[in-house]
Amino acid sequence: MKYIILLFLTCLSLCLSQAILAQTASSDPPAEAALVPSEPPAPPGNLTLKDLPNDDGHGIAVKWDLSPDDGAGAKSVISYDIYRSLSPDAPDSLWKKAGTVVLGVKSYADKGNRESDNDDYLPKKTNLYYRVYAVGAGVRSVAAAAGPVQAYDNWFNTLKVPELIFCVVFLILTVRFINMAKRGIDLYVRPLAGIEAIDEAIGRATEMGKPILYCLGIGTAGDIATIASFTILGRVARKVAEYQTSMIVPCIDPIVMTIAQETVKAGYADAGRPDAYKEDSVYYVTSQQFPYVAAVNGTIIREKPATNIYLGYFLAESLLLAETGVMAGSIQIAGTDQVSQLPFFVVACDYTLLGEELYAASAYLGREPLLLGTLKAQDYLKAIALVCIFALLALRVFTGADVIHKPFDMPWW
Amino acid sequence: MGLIISAVVIGGGLLWILYLSIKGQDVDRRIVYLFVGATVALAIIFRLEFGEVATPIVKSVFDKIENLPAGSKIVLSYDFDPAMAPEVNPMANAFIRHILEKKHRLFFMSLWATGQSLLSVSLNDVLKPEFPDAKYGVDYCNLGYKAGNEGVLNVVITNFRKMFPSDANGNSLDSLPMFKDVESLKDMDLLISVGGGKPGVKEWVLFAGDPGKIATAGGSAAVSTPLLYPYWPRQLIGLLGGTKGAAEYEAELIKTHPRFKDKGMPALRMMGPQTMAHVVIIAFIVIGNVAYFRSRRKGKQS
Amino acid sequence: MTSKTAMRILTAIVALIFLISWIMKSGSGMSDSAFTNVRDGFLVTFAVFLTLSIFSFLYRDNPFYKFAESLYVGISAGYWMCYGFWSTVVGNFVPRASRSLSEFFHVPYQEHADHILIYIPIIFGLILLTRLLPKIGWLSRWSLAFIIGATAGLNLTRYLRSDFISQVSNSFIPLFVDWKGVGDFVNHISLAADGQFIAILSNWVIFVGVMCGLVYFFFSKEHKGAFGVASRVGIWILMVTFGASFGYTVMGRISLLVGRITFLFGDWLNIL
Repeated sequence: MKYIILLFLTCLSLCLSQAILAQTASSDPPAEAALVPSEPPAPPGNLTLKDLPNDDGHGIAVKWDLSPDDGAGAKSVISYDIYRSLSPDAPDSLWKKAGTVVLGVKSYADKGNRESDNDDYLPKKTNLYYRVYAVGAGVRSVAAAAGPVQAYDNWFNTLKVPELIFCVVFLILTVRFINMAKRGIDLYVRPLAGIEAIDEAIGRATEMGKPILYCLGIGTAGDIATIASFTILGRVARKVAEYQTSMIVPCIDPIVMTIAQETVKAGYADAGRPDAYKEDSVYYVTSQQFPYVAAVNGTIIREKPATNIYLGYFLAESLLLAETGVMAGSIQIAGTDQVSQLPFFVVACDYTLLGEELYAASAYLGREPLLLGTLKAQDYLKAIALVCIFALLALRVFTGADVIHKPFDMPWW
Repeated sequence: MGLIISAVVIGGGLLWILYLSIKGQDVDRRIVYLFVGATVALAIIFRLEFGEVATPIVKSVFDKIENLPAGSKIVLSYDFDPAMAPEVNPMANAFIRHILEKKHRLFFMSLWATGQSLLSVSLNDVLKPEFPDAKYGVDYCNLGYKAGNEGVLNVVITNFRKMFPSDANGNSLDSLPMFKDVESLKDMDLLISVGGGKPGVKEWVLFAGDPGKIATAGGSAAVSTPLLYPYWPRQLIGLLGGTKGAAEYEAELIKTHPRFKDKGMPALRMMGPQTMAHVVIIAFIVIGNVAYFRSRRKGKQS
Repeated sequence: MTSKTAMRILTAIVALIFLISWIMKSGSGMSDSAFTNVRDGFLVTFAVFLTLSIFSFLYRDNPFYKFAESLYVGISAGYWMCYGFWSTVVGNFVPRASRSLSEFFHVPYQEHADHILIYIPIIFGLILLTRLLPKIGWLSRWSLAFIIGATAGLNLTRYLRSDFISQVSNSFIPLFVDWKGVGDFVNHISLAADGQFIAILSNWVIFVGVMCGLVYFFFSKEHKGAFGVASRVGIWILMVTFGASFGYTVMGRISLLVGRITFLFGDWLNIL
């Protein structure tokens, strides 16, 4: 609980600091320009130069005070021209125009090119000099000059501090919970309806004397959904061995097939019935999506399994499989992290594990410290997000001001 | 007249199926397939069309292109294959017409291998005949396909020339006048991705629009559209979802630029059969539920 | 009549229709070249044959469907193999590796490319192929480790920013839009899409949906009491979302059907 409070306070202070930054940042409205003047406008003042932060070393931030004739005085300023050179005494022809901004603007980010043969090349770690002119209609002021300044590449991108904070928070939570799980502390995971139905479904298959079909989807051994499905496969294999019924596991990937064979064999061994394991119950079909579906559909129609379990990574074939299972009269339990396929499983199957529930099921059944720890860390991160959204929205409602419009998008410099 | 004939034929058939369902008879699924096919066929033959009004999510894309100053730089990425083409090709063609009509500079590219050939079809069938004055290298250019999925976006967000040393025709980018002031994607005024898979609109948002703070719009196949709604309106300025989105955009295009009225807007034509098919599917859902609740009530009574 | 005989008769009828269609399409071709007309006539007729073969599965599995599916699988495998070579090897590797190779394949040579460094990913790619050889298959784990690590690192910050931080930020929506008091709200209540009532309702739906959806996916607490109610609301909202997603997918599939039927009636039968 204290972790939640600590992290909530961290997030709240983070967001409030952004709120303060948002309130203090302001932009002056642009002034109006006058008609054709007879004299050049007054130059801008207090020209300051510094390295542009969060870049690769080819940028300079140029800032100045507005010309007295910008929106006031003679009101003759239309724009500002910014020039750059390698020497303060270079002739005018060697001063490169870096950019132009309209009246009322007090800064310019000069982002030059990285390639030395480019016209707009801005070298790093080299002395650079700048001139800023206030430009009127056909005339321009005396230059405000400054320099030298050097551009450096930065090791750290301060705009990504929110990501860093969240990564650190998540890392702390994950390590903490994995250690707790390793020490044997019971980490509660709520029961999931789909997983509880598996035992019942296996019992039904035993009564009917029909096999169980377990489909791992069309993912590879590297897909998270497939990895989660392996854990559940092991549990199902153990139950199948205990109940002395049979199972069919068609695979789309040879590596997945290899791992599935080992998992099922281990499940049978855990149940004390290694002799009952049949090598050809876990087999490779094809690596193509729709031929695989055609083969599995054929198996469902011929073998008429009592229970179909679809857990893993599925795409468009999900509805084809589920509908064929309905025609065969099987109980169907499905789960995938592909949000676009969940509606089809929900419609056609008896139980569906939605998205993250598949990973939770894997942690719930396997009770491995790594799985449990990451699941709990994700839960706490969700809780932080919930609390942040609720608290900051409440703040917005009661203060009435739109001060937290983009709390995580403000620049940190 | 076509609407009346379709309504009589399809309506009559549906009433017959409702009667069978109430009597407790099973309706073969092949009858359902036949009905949907017949509905679509009748609607196509009788050219049923309905009016479309652009919703805010589509209008925002239209307004963005409409209000950009002439000469703005817009990237249009063809990220789809022929399987998705009936849905998203009309969007892409509508974008081409609108962008060139407003005299913006159009940069074509593709993250899908099949996108390049579909892009060539659009260039030959739409761009060249309807915009004969548009000059290659000045008003539009074709960068072609590059393998690497989001890796391509990771590079072009800082340097175009590193990933595309030349365009699809072998011309160096420096030889094209429209690339004079273009260093990377960050110099673009708008990014548009048309597609429905991976890489697609989501990758453009994640790897180009969001990190580069560049305005991004999408045209997506209907299957992927619900997953993209969370990105609107902050990370995506607008989104065209499926045939409906394409039809809305075409309707807005015709309203604002009437010269395209005779160009045979395919999405608007498709919405007629689409609507009729949806009505039939809704009717089947209602019939199915009526039959289900009747059989449940009969079961309780017995 | 046995099924074999029926199949033979059906095949003969299909072949006859195919021939008639080919002849008629070739005859009605618009090109001056006879060869072009014959070729285009064959292509359209063959496309129609494949389309109808796939559709025939809706009735029953049959040899025509099996033929069309096998053809599709085989051609796509061959197509992607060739395209993979031309787009990845010739498109990405050759322009950076060798001037003479670039000239051979007619691709522009990149003068400023890292000519030596390009061989590092090439070596990793070749090591990946050792998966096929059981004795040295363990070497491929190095390439896999690099791929997984690099992808995870690249994607972590992007997905964290776009799919988490930005979404949390996007959830800070005003729950009372243009609020000037209850009286003003009641006086101006309307169902207009851009009206205050719809804007407030939409924002509340988003807020409640996000909160309750997150509660549903919370696994550390049993869903009882107020928590259970919120979870229930969450799953209802999820189901509505799935319904909308299902509807969108149905729309997508119908669009493809419309496209195919337009092809059949337009390009083949010329009745549009």
